[in-house]
Amino acid sequence: MSAQTTAISRPRRWDNPFDPELSTVDVERILTAPVFRDLDPDRFPPGQSLPDIVRNDARINRYQRGDIVVLEGDYGNSVFVILSGAVNVLYGYLPEVGRPPPRARRPFWNALAQLWRNSRESETRTLSPSARALHMRADRGRAYLPDIERVIAEHSVTLLEHGDMFGEISALSRSPRTATVVADTDCELVELRWQGLRDLRARDPDLRERVDHLHRTRSLLAHLSESPLFAHLDEATIALVAQEIRFENHGTQELFPTGELPAESDGSLAGEPLIAEEGSLTDDLIMIRAGFARVTEHLDHGDRTVGYLKNNDVFGLEELVRQWRGNGSVPLRNSLRAIGYLDILRVPALVMERYVLPTMPEHLLPPATDADMRATPVWKRDDSATGIEQPLVDFLIDERIINGTQSMVIDLDRCTGCDDCVKACAATHDGNPRFVRQGPSHDDVMIANACMHCVDAVCLIGCPTGAIHRDLSSGDVHINDDTCIGCGTCSRSCPYGNIVMVEIADKAGTVITDRETGAAIRRATKCDLCAGQLGGPACQRACPNDALARLDMSNPGELVAWLRR
Amino acid sequence: MAASLTRFTRRRARNTAFVVGATLLLVAITHLAEATLHDIRFVTGWTLFGLIVGLALFDLRRRIAVLPLGSASDWEQVHIYGGWFAVVVFLTHTGAGLPDGPLEIALWIPFVAVTISGTVGIWLSRVLPKRMRDHGARELYDRIATRRAEIAAEAQALAISSARDTGSVTIADYYQKELSAYFQRPRNALAHLTGYQGHLRLQQQQIQSLHRYVDARGHKILNRLSELVETKDDLDYQFAAQSALRLWLFVHVPLAYGLLILIAVHAVLAHAFEVGPS
Repeated sequence: MSAQTTAISRPRRWDNPFDPELSTVDVERILTAPVFRDLDPDRFPPGQSLPDIVRNDARINRYQRGDIVVLEGDYGNSVFVILSGAVNVLYGYLPEVGRPPPRARRPFWNALAQLWRNSRESETRTLSPSARALHMRADRGRAYLPDIERVIAEHSVTLLEHGDMFGEISALSRSPRTATVVADTDCELVELRWQGLRDLRARDPDLRERVDHLHRTRSLLAHLSESPLFAHLDEATIALVAQEIRFENHGTQELFPTGELPAESDGSLAGEPLIAEEGSLTDDLIMIRAGFARVTEHLDHGDRTVGYLKNNDVFGLEELVRQWRGNGSVPLRNSLRAIGYLDILRVPALVMERYVLPTMPEHLLPPATDADMRATPVWKRDDSATGIEQPLVDFLIDERIINGTQSMVIDLDRCTGCDDCVKACAATHDGNPRFVRQGPSHDDVMIANACMHCVDAVCLIGCPTGAIHRDLSSGDVHINDDTCIGCGTCSRSCPYGNIVMVEIADKAGTVITDRETGAAIRRATKCDLCAGQLGGPACQRACPNDALARLDMSNPGELVAWLRR
Repeated sequence: MAASLTRFTRRRARNTAFVVGATLLLVAITHLAEATLHDIRFVTGWTLFGLIVGLALFDLRRRIAVLPLGSASDWEQVHIYGGWFAVVVFLTHTGAGLPDGPLEIALWIPFVAVTISGTVGIWLSRVLPKRMRDHGARELYDRIATRRAEIAAEAQALAISSARDTGSVTIADYYQKELSAYFQRPRNALAHLTGYQGHLRLQQQQIQSLHRYVDARGHKILNRLSELVETKDDLDYQFAAQSALRLWLFVHVPLAYGLLILIAVHAVLAHAFEVGPS
């Protein structure tokens, strides 16, 4: 009896298609559409055929003129291919409408009922055979731009038509949308989610090249339009600048040189490739397009970490400006190294001097460097860029904590170990805490083992079903328990070990097993920032000693303010 | 000037100002009442009762994490400074004198005990976390026993290997007579809490003195044993500190609830035997 109630068929990738209503006719129509018709079906194995991938990971969305397809700043991981009609791409235009609604919060009494409804057993689930993931549809409950004529007249738009593809920047770089796309006419779009795009790219080199080319070209324009350094330039000049920019990729996909968290940092920067060396001539402005970079200065036999750069930061601007102002050749003051995988853009110094610097607003020009800085002992320096003391900067970068947008930071000088944070977490997660109050620490700062909701969330890459995903509006990383098939890919991908695979149980506490193999059914679990709960992360609210905070470590100012509280 | 103060400093100053202001108000009201021949013991009594009920709600807040009831740290601030004001009201209510009847003693003792335990608790909460930082990595309380067992197992293995590899029983003998018991359970809790380090110094001196009787391999084993003793000592510190940080609550919270019940009884009796014009 017990075996019957606790054995199920192991969830598989194809259990929850992107659009359960997608018909065979639709699949055939997609396969004959541009982009898809160029794919070679023979490159796909029988168990993962091209029609299978399309059936599982694609859907057809229909829009009317003025409908917003994607909105700049939102998170999304789909690419779109235009089946019919046309769309307008708007850079830098942020309409007030169309934001995806924030995650629904549970009603007050529902929240209160958790006090007595939480399971006494760990990791219990109620499995319904009809349980399915709800994939939010961009074309239903759509937002509408009422004054599209005026918007098009007043803004620079790019028209995309039948067969064109868009959305690849967010899909490939796991970053927010860089532009708003609005239907120019009534149109039909194929939306292909990341899992499908990943598999198609992996099997078809031509598609990979095509998508990557689009990605490089468009993200360059998007990057330039986002950067304040180029905001004063007209379109024609930006196009000239864009032609001269070089792309470079550095480092490896692994955040840590060894592929895993270092047991102890020896201070060496081995495994962090040098991109620009201190003392060399300043030939380019380096713009960080994706990933993180370490800025160092040579000191005796080692290198002192001055700070770190992330997406949209630049390196070498101060030297370029001094050079342009007639100080002759100005060597680089610091070195730049790739932390993990790094995409950069190089804008040649000549281009900067000819097109960008002469008209750049004065407030964007970097101030002169503090001459007294180098007289301060290295162990006492507060880095001028980050404001964080030197050893802590080293720790944050060595441990790659800078990747976290919601890192759980604990002040060990105030933490009494009362575990109210852990209890609060358990209370809001059916009795199961989603973090461990332990982790790497430096001096009085500990980074607990809780999902950091990373800037570059590598856990998203390999998920076969899209169960682990970003919230469309906040960008927080969540796991859809209904579509998680327990493969453990995300858990293995997380460099910080913050995703835990658990064996799930029925309400009686009996482990649920696979009907065929008898193996336990597992799910990936992690901190979800108390999504849906009233009042935000319970851990932070529960700490009576002001010892715990969720901080964006990619923004040093947030940590500095907290440390100086 | 104000900008250079930390948020905590500003908060402390603001909360202290509130308590001082409330105290001055209470003193003024008391003097006014005395001057006009009014008895305000019922006023101060009910104020005290209300304050203590309010302070007890903090415990409820800690247990209800699922509702947006404000941050626990704000609640704790109200609890601490509200507690100080409760002491002022208590002194006003009792005339700052010692109790002279059985019920008064029964009320006075738990109130003082709750005040002292709360004060000690605040002090421990502010002092011990900083001190723990100087005693090895912060270990989870529930994992300390496991970690201690790991250290004990390594020490035992070292002692056994010393007898086998060095042909000398000096280390094994010392382990059996001195270290074995030391590694088995938490030690020197009181010494740790008072900051006394003599026990560790003594142990290290004993280990150091054995170096002259062992060979090169024995030196290595003794050095490692010395490290393990230090690690175990740090773990004992963590255990003592974290236990203290838990234990004071086991005194403070039950006493506070007991006090509430006694105050309720006191209120009923006070009204039942009320004399004079109502």
